[in-house]
Order: sequence, then structure tokens, then C-alpha cells
Amino acid sequence: MSAAPRPPLVGTPVPRKEDPDILRGQARYTFDIELPDMLHVAVYRSPAAHARIRGVDLSKALALPGVVTGLTGAQVRRLGYVNPLSPFPFQSRDPFRRGNPTIKFFDHYCLAWDKVRFVGEPVAAVVATDRYIAEDALDLIEVELDPLPPVVDSAAALEPGSERLYEDWDDNVMLTFRVSGGDVDAAFKEADVIVRETIHSGRFTGTPIETRAVVADYDASVKTLSLWSTTQIGHAIGTLVENTIALPGLKVHVNFRRIGGGYGQKWAFYPEEILVPLLSILTNRPMKWVETRREHMTGTIHAREQTHHIEAAVRRDGTILGVKDRIVANIGAAYPTGGLASIVTTGMFVPGAYRIANYEGQVQGVVTNKTPYGAHRGFGKSEACFVIERMVDRIAANLDLDPVELRRRNFVPPDAFPYRSVTGPRYDSGRYEEALDKALGLLDVDHWRAAQREAAAEGRYLGIGTCLVIEPSSSTRMGSYNAGYYSVRMRMDPNGKVYVFPGGSDEGQGHATSISQLVGDELQVSFDDVMVVEGDSLACPYGSGSYSSRFSVVGTTAVTLAARALREKATQIASVMLRHPPGGLVFAGGQVSVEGRPAEAVSLSEIARVAYFYPFQLPEGMDPGLETLYHFRDPNIEFEADERGRVAMFSSFPYDAEAAVVEVEADTGLLKILKFVSVHDCGNMLNPLIVRGQHVGALAHGFGGALYEELPYSKEGQPMAATFKDYFLPTAMEMPEMVLEHIETPNPFTPGGFKGAGETGTVGPPAVLANAVEDALKPLGIAVRRLPLTPQYLWSLIQEAQGGR
Amino acid sequence: MSDKAKIRITINGVVHEREAPPRMLLVDYIRDVVGLKGTRYGCDTSNCGSCTIVMDGRSAKSCTFLAVQADGREVTTIEGLAEGSALNPLQAAFQEAHALQCGFCTSGMVMSAHALLAHNPAPSVEEIREGIIGNLCRCTGYVPVIEAVQAAARRLDPKGGTP
Repeated sequence: MSAAPRPPLVGTPVPRKEDPDILRGQARYTFDIELPDMLHVAVYRSPAAHARIRGVDLSKALALPGVVTGLTGAQVRRLGYVNPLSPFPFQSRDPFRRGNPTIKFFDHYCLAWDKVRFVGEPVAAVVATDRYIAEDALDLIEVELDPLPPVVDSAAALEPGSERLYEDWDDNVMLTFRVSGGDVDAAFKEADVIVRETIHSGRFTGTPIETRAVVADYDASVKTLSLWSTTQIGHAIGTLVENTIALPGLKVHVNFRRIGGGYGQKWAFYPEEILVPLLSILTNRPMKWVETRREHMTGTIHAREQTHHIEAAVRRDGTILGVKDRIVANIGAAYPTGGLASIVTTGMFVPGAYRIANYEGQVQGVVTNKTPYGAHRGFGKSEACFVIERMVDRIAANLDLDPVELRRRNFVPPDAFPYRSVTGPRYDSGRYEEALDKALGLLDVDHWRAAQREAAAEGRYLGIGTCLVIEPSSSTRMGSYNAGYYSVRMRMDPNGKVYVFPGGSDEGQGHATSISQLVGDELQVSFDDVMVVEGDSLACPYGSGSYSSRFSVVGTTAVTLAARALREKATQIASVMLRHPPGGLVFAGGQVSVEGRPAEAVSLSEIARVAYFYPFQLPEGMDPGLETLYHFRDPNIEFEADERGRVAMFSSFPYDAEAAVVEVEADTGLLKILKFVSVHDCGNMLNPLIVRGQHVGALAHGFGGALYEELPYSKEGQPMAATFKDYFLPTAMEMPEMVLEHIETPNPFTPGGFKGAGETGTVGPPAVLANAVEDALKPLGIAVRRLPLTPQYLWSLIQEAQGGR
Repeated sequence: MSDKAKIRITINGVVHEREAPPRMLLVDYIRDVVGLKGTRYGCDTSNCGSCTIVMDGRSAKSCTFLAVQADGREVTTIEGLAEGSALNPLQAAFQEAHALQCGFCTSGMVMSAHALLAHNPAPSVEEIREGIIGNLCRCTGYVPVIEAVQAAARRLDPKGGTP
């Protein structure tokens, strides 16, 4: 028996263990769950943006053969044990303390009962023996609505006389937040030049290919509600369901084992997560609801829509002395989502990768009659990056400087890390200038500048853009379920196999593979002997969920440290078995041996059997078993903001230098990406195959938001894009030629040195492509101030610049 | 409406003769009547391609057909590709290239690629892009999928394949 340590798994491109089941079509998603006597739910949704509900009549729907029951909002309220969906059930009404942010509250039930506030809001439900009949029944529901004036635009919503969405509020502002640092007034007095812009981020969203689905099965005999939901926060949902369906003694078991993509959209508390369980409780039958795509596009959260009124105080040499930004986010109807946290995050990260000592951000979250606003890959930082990276180029244009030089002059330098930003966060590590230089080298910027001149001579418009994305990951907010820790339970069983039960869950990131790499190395077991059980609220320890690239930062650390605790205990047991002090033992190759005497060895399964079956042989004071529960809290986090709103609430700071060459066709406004470069630093790479996959996928998502994806509304508040026929995701045809490289600057706050890996790509493309477009259209003096960069938008800018010729 | 039609479809070499309402979509017949859940759906408008199968040798979106329209025809679904538990060369190439993440679109993506390679054993990158244009993926950014199809083409036909 060899005791040589195996080559490490961490850092190598191991193919994923999740894949074979998926590739054979055997993987089971929520909508695949079948239970005996299951019924099917269809939801009637508001066709109006803003209206008072006069009446809901289900009688004709209930008369349809095959329809079993139905439910209205008024009936839900009469049940007596159902509470409104609360966004902050675990907090006082001033959850962030010190009155900053201030937040107004609302009482929505799982079905609207008094008013509807957006197209797509659930109003009533019908239950039938199959989904076809349930959908037929929707057409027979009669709803009487009194229209109210729709509030669509955030500027209009802020006007003093505006119609209010919530009558007990004094305006439409749900959240206000202020954060500042340094002396902004002094910076603006000292400035040579003040640059002012209004920049708008478009409304777009994640659109996982798996729509949401909820299956509920209430067993009255044991008062247990089994719930399957497409959620990124299964434990929180269990708690929220307990709070909302207040039946004494109700036990809730949430299953969220396999999710078909989330990207933040499944990080919210949705009405169907109450509605479907309630219908199961009322009928004592299993219940399934599967969202249609149209329901998804209106009833599942949107993101990103923000307007920034930003001013920068700069010296003539390009030094940014100070920045003021007033941010207005159009957050749609109030809802229990991460939307408010995302706009606070925007306010915190406008300074981006730059050493800006004086800053003041004011954030307003304004409710409107649009779909509610929530988390989306890039969570608030995408909007911040778009604005500051646009602003750097606008400043450069104003001062007639090279935007790359302006970036260099203002970057946080490598020796300043860990860097305390003006708004409080502690950036863990970074080499921004080196990354940008590398990106420009890979782009071959000299070649493209020459090509740009040649094109100009032919009347064509080529442009080069750059940007530096920072994507703070693994967020925390005091008192919320977004609580900045990771939990894991780990058990070595009597066969020497290691069962891992993480508190988080997977939406496609490959946690089982990554965990098997980490545990395989720490415990010297084979990759295949690590068994990962995720997404079961009763099997796994209570956890905060899967979002904010949390797994790769705090999740990997919790797994590593739990494995080390098991290893320590196994070594102590081996010490008794081998009658040798633990200090002289070697832990390698699936066994523990005496150093220098490889024949004196015990295997891990032998150790585990002693732990479970020979409890009286264990060292004095040691508990039987080989199992541990571990909670990791990131050290780079603070929980309380100071009096100016400053707080360190993100634990790691991956970044990405991006450069792009584009050509804009003046006659059509069509944009073509000729070359795209990304130099990404997510710290050490646990699995380079997965990191590359996450990054390429994130970039595709970013191209979508930069160029194609938009959720426009009519003046009446009607959504104009509610299917994949009018909301355009990139297809394989739209992916440009890309050059991707990594540099690795380890995260100093975690043992593995990992940072988040899957979000920077989504953040960068809007900024870098807008910068490239502006460079291309420089001869026309055009400024890009909004997204997406559709042909219509670019064409109209060109027309305007050419005097509408 | 409640009348049922007898529908006979050969799926993965097995003849299934079942009754289903005439308005039932083929994807629901495959998933809910026959019970092969590997074929998914993710939209209402035949855009996402998650429901792609091969019918009589050609790729087809099974949400665009009524089950009765498939009566008498031969269908291959994702469950019909692997030999036992071993992945076929295309499936193995998907794993090696990390051409799937959440896996929800994967069945359809693999079936489109399977149909493409059956008709064109040595597709160019452009032909691969066109071959999967009807399959939306939100995780991978398509690049690894294209690489997987290239690798599978080389493996299936060492003389062919694209550079």
C-alpha cells in the first residue's frame, strides 16, 4: 500500500461529476416531480398595470369539468392564518439601523385583493386535474377592475402630484440611502473642470431557461408540508413559508436540489411559494405549478433600470478629485426581493476601481407600475460599473486625454491593498493596471488604431473601448438572510466515503465537483468517494443560500475547514490505533501511517469504523462518530454602517480588464464586435474548466444586456417584451471572437485564495462596448448615455449628430 | 375536447401506443404520457429549443407538434443516445468541454448537435452555430458547446472534422 499523496485536484480542470446524469436526460428538475393524485395550478394575472379590484368571480371557471377548486385574494385574507409576504421578517422595521437606508413597508398577499400594481401580478388561481384544463379555466374567470392612472416613469413617479401606488405612503419613494466619504464640497471647489452626465441603465433580467415551478404536498396526518421550489434560497423560503402560513405545528421541508439556472431571479420570495402550498393544504392533495414564459417575463423579477445624475470634479491632468451621484432606480412594484439591497450596492460601488477620496451617493428606489425589481447577476455593481466607466471616458473626452491614461492615473495601485474604499468596503487585492495592459496587448491596440484610421479614410466607423470591472462578491447584510456565512455538515461514513451537506445550493455552478476536489485533497479520498447532498432543508444545515458568488468565497472555505476538522479527528483516532503520537503520523493516500514506517498504517475506513463501532476505544473525552458541522464567517466583513453609511459588506473583489473593437454602420446603426479581450482575476482558480465556463457564460449574459435585451413598457404600463419573440437573448450566432486570459492574485482572507468567478463577465460588456461605440463615433461627437446599444438607438444618435439628414 | 385519440409513436426504438387528447402537444405526450422527462421546455413560443428531439431523422421542437401529428413516426429523445450508462461520443464531448452548466437546455442542445452531425459529419464553426441557433442557453455562452461539437465530429469521423 502506497502512502504517497495523490496529485492535487484543486487547481486542475476536472470534468464535472454532475454532467453524466444531465447528459443522459436523467436529471430531475422541479417541474419533473410527479406525485400520486397531483393537481395542477394555473394563475390568473392582472392584465392592467394599476387598478382597483372590484370583484373576482370564479363561478364559471369552477363549473368547468376537471376543475377542482380555485382561490381569490379575498378568500386568502378570510382564511385567518395567512400573513402578507414580508420582505424583512427577521428584522426590526429599521433593519439597517440609523435610519439609513430608510425603507417603507407594504402588505401584499400571495394574491392581490384590493389593488393590482403591475401587469402579471397574481389575482386568482384555479386548480384542475391537468394543466390544459386549468389554463382553459383561466379564460372563464371574471375580474372587474377600476383602472387607476399608471405610474410608469420614475421621474414622473417622483413628481409631487403623482398617483401613489401605496396610499398610506406619502410618496412613491420606497428607499432612500446616502453614503459619503471625504469632503466632496472641497473637492468640487478645488476642481479645474466639472463633468456632468445623466446616464441610464436599461431594464433587463436573467431569464433562466427553466422557468419557476413550485410543487407542494401537504400531509395532514403529520402536518408536514413538502415543498419543491426553483429557489436559490431554500432555507430562507422554508422560514418565510412558516411565517406566512401561520398554522401552529406546521413542519416545512423544502427541496431545491436541482435548479435550471437562477442568475439572481430565483433569489426572491414569490407569491406562488405561498399560493401553491396553501392550495395543497386546502385540498390535502399534491399541487404543481409551472410558470409559463409569459408569466415569467412579467411575474418574475426584473433588474437594472437606473438613472444616474452624476458629476465629477477633476484636475486638468485627469485626476478625479470627487464624485457626486444621484441615483434613481425604477424598482417597479414593491416586493420581497433583493432589489433594495442591489440599489444600495450601486451607491456603494460607483467609485469602482478608482482611488476617489471624496464621494457622495444618494439612492432612491422609486416604485412604479412595472414588474418588481430584484437581484440579477452583477447585482447593482453592473449599473455602478457602467456609470463610472462611461464617466471616465466622458471625462477623458472633455479633457482631450486618452481614456486609458485616465484609468491608469486614477486606479487603486497594487500596493494600496487591502484598500479601504471611500464608501467603506475593503478591496482584498488587485493589479488593475497590469490587467489592463495585458488586455491591451492581447487586443493589439496599435494594429486596431491603424485599422481605425484606414476605416475613417473610407468613411467607416471603428472604435476601441476599455473598461475595468470590479465585481465585489459574497455580500452580507446584517439581520437579513443574506448573512455572510456558509454552513456545511460533513460525515465520513464507516466505508470511508465522505458525505458533504452544504447549506447552499447549486444552480449550475458545479458545487458537487468543486467540493469533491477540495475534500479529495484535504482528506486524501478519491473524487468519486465524495458524496454531495445539496438543496434539502432538513438534511443540510440551515444556510443563507446561493448568490453573490458566495460558494467560491465562503463556501469553499467552510468546506475546506470542515474537512480539516475531520482530518484532525481521524488523525487522533489513528494515533490510538497505531499507538503513536499524532505528531508523527502521515495523512496521505487514503490512510494514516507512521512517518518513515509505511507498513504501520490504518485506512480511513478502518479509522471511521472505530469512530462509529468502537466508541469506548476512542481517546478520553472524544465523541463517537466522524461527523462535523462547520460555519465560516468571512473576516473581511463588517456588519454595521457608520454615520455616513460606510460599511465593508462584500468579502472579495474579483475584477476584469476588458477591451473591445467595434464597427458601427452609420446607415443602419448596426454594431459589430470585431474583437473582444478579457483579462480576468478571480484569485486562485479551484477548477479552471469551471471558471472559464462561468466567465464565458457571464460575458454572453453581458453582451445580451449591452446589445439586445430590454424590457420596455408602454405609457399605459403594458410590457412590450413578454416572450422570447420580443426579448432577445444572444444565440450562438451572436457570440464574438474572444480572447480570454487570467491572472491570479489570491484573496488573502481565505485559505484557498479564491474570489467570486461568475459575475464580472456580465458587468463589463455594457461599459466596454458603449466606450468603444463612443470612440467609433467620435468624429460625429456622439455621447452614449443609455443601454442597450440597439441599432435603433445608435442610428438615432447618428441621425441627430448629422442634423437629421 | 375530452375525446381521446390513440397515438402510436416509436420512441428510442420502443413502440408506445397510448391514448391522449387530440390537442396534447408532443412534448407533453413524451414527458407526461410516456414518462420520458429528459425532454424539457422553457418557453411558450418555440424559441428556446429545450424540447428538441429527432423525428424521422430530423431535429424537431416537440412543442411545435401535436402528439397526433407524430402518430406512426419515429422519435429519438435524449434518453435514446447513451448505450446503457456510458455516454456516447457527443455526450462525452459535452462533458469534457464543460458545455453544460445548469443542464436545463442541454437535452435540446445535444439533440440539435446530434441531428447536425448525422447530416454533416464535419461541420464548420459557422455551420455549428447555425445548427444550434434554435437552442437558447443562458449559462455557457455557447463557446464550449461549439467546441464540444467540433471535438465530437473529430472523434466520430477522424478523417473529417473541422480545424
